[in-house]
Amino acid sequence: MSVASLLWRFPSVLMAWRNLGRNRLRTALAALGIVIGVVAICSLGMATVAIEQQATAQLGDLTNEVTVSSGPDSETEGVTEEQVAEMRAIVTDARVIPQKTNRTTLEARNGREARVSVTGVTDANALYDLTTGPAPERLQSGALISNGTAERLALEPGDPVEYEGRIYRIRGFIESEHAFGFGGDLVVPVSGLADQRHYDTVTIIAADGDAAGRIGDRLDTRFNTEEDEELRVSTFGNRAQVGGFLDTLSLALLGIGGISLVVASVAILNVMLMSTVERRGEIGVLRAVGIRRGEVLRMILTEATLLGALGGLVGALVSLATGMVLFHVITGDATAALGWASSRYLVYGFGFAVAASVLSGAYPAWKAANESPVEALRG
Amino acid sequence: MSVVELRGVGKRYESGAETIDALKDVDFTADRGEMVTITGPSGSGKSTMLNLIGLLDEPTEGTVSLQGRNVTDFGEDERTEERRSALGFVFQDFHLLPMLTAVENVELPSMWDTSVDRHDRAVDLLRRVGLGDRLTHTPDELSGGQKQRVAIARSLINEPEVLLADEPTGNLDQDTGGTILDEITRLKAEEDLAVVAITHDEQLVEYADRVVRLVDGVTRT
Repeated sequence: MSVASLLWRFPSVLMAWRNLGRNRLRTALAALGIVIGVVAICSLGMATVAIEQQATAQLGDLTNEVTVSSGPDSETEGVTEEQVAEMRAIVTDARVIPQKTNRTTLEARNGREARVSVTGVTDANALYDLTTGPAPERLQSGALISNGTAERLALEPGDPVEYEGRIYRIRGFIESEHAFGFGGDLVVPVSGLADQRHYDTVTIIAADGDAAGRIGDRLDTRFNTEEDEELRVSTFGNRAQVGGFLDTLSLALLGIGGISLVVASVAILNVMLMSTVERRGEIGVLRAVGIRRGEVLRMILTEATLLGALGGLVGALVSLATGMVLFHVITGDATAALGWASSRYLVYGFGFAVAASVLSGAYPAWKAANESPVEALRG
Repeated sequence: MSVVELRGVGKRYESGAETIDALKDVDFTADRGEMVTITGPSGSGKSTMLNLIGLLDEPTEGTVSLQGRNVTDFGEDERTEERRSALGFVFQDFHLLPMLTAVENVELPSMWDTSVDRHDRAVDLLRRVGLGDRLTHTPDELSGGQKQRVAIARSLINEPEVLLADEPTGNLDQDTGGTILDEITRLKAEEDLAVVAITHDEQLVEYADRVVRLVDGVTRT
């Protein structure tokens, strides 16, 4: 009774609510259409967010790197000291890490051999994550070796390895960069490869993918022209492409969701038209006893709005559950679905549902309100 | 001064090539405190005349006055305001809203008017028509006679000057019809109403202060 007396202050809402209650099955089915539309929009939207987050997490390590090597038109066999200095002058906001590489065979005291690629680098800690041992700020005398190789040759931290006649003590273990066991990595100070004059690659580590892209562009314009590719500058660069692809995917999925909401609003249009045609005589009575056209319009619009809000609310709740399942499956973290990036789709879905319902209710409401009372009373 | 006045009123319907004169040169008045019944065979123009008096329809000729004011050329919104403030309607089929209780149905005409609270008057009117114990019943829990009493209470909620009744006893048995007419007669005096009823029920004619006969759109007194 208290709800009714509160509603009494909003007669359109009271009348709309009572009208919806008259044919509960029809109301429920119309709302179900909206629920399906909202769930389609929300869960597809949330799915793309989950996929995007997962993709970004996996690509994140690679995309912020710029790799520079000698270009086909270069006169030198590698990247020169001068070019590195110039890069350092241009790129002030990221670390420039020149490397020399070679290959060698390591031989252990137990007689076993391992083929490894040798990298001479000073800023080793910026390139490698150590699995054992403290990361040396600058690699001056020791060496880093990949886990697999160390195991194969039964090497412990502190053990010596020999390369080009010099002995290095192992300072730490790193994950191998070669995935399928094609040998391992040995990382030594750059002085160890002193007989190679030039650097084979220069790695620049930027803050993120966008910054890496900008650095790549700057280096490219500085060192290269259309005909003369002095340096080969490669950025992972695909972040933009991946992002673009995900944006397209998300638009396509939202489009599919949108279509289902359009279908749902056509259903609402139909339900509202049917119910106003059925209540033609009743609306005639309302008009006869002095209810204004605008009041009838408001009443029927409120009905459509309530339908949309009801369907939208249930749809948003179902979508939240669906979204959490999706996030659990795709990223393994169900609570990430509550983040604004994905939960905003719930707000959009609800908003679209209400807006679509109001639009669908507009024509039946206008039609009912403007019918001549005499015609309407005739039934 | 008459509350309701028709002068030379005609209503012509045109459908295709055919023209039908539903009413021709009708003069009619109704005063406060009197009950006028309009009788006549089906198709004689009774409903058309009631619709014109009730400002639900516009005449093609003549003038319609309410409380001495010419309302003939009122637009739809102005006519709605007049119906809201000065007129009450009772229908043959009661036309109560099924999802509202008796008291809510009575309050319906003033429902959107949030400036006044007619709840007490609604309860009072229902008591006066003998439904004080049926306030929160919905129409499907009421008998035909009770529904028509609710409808009468609804027609009076806005303190109208004119009560318009379209076959108010048409769907009721003789006894119930009699009690409804007693009710209307009593309220007519209490509220100082002009009552205009259309019917072909002889019983209703007995209650009338005055009878107007319509034949083929023309009045015969």
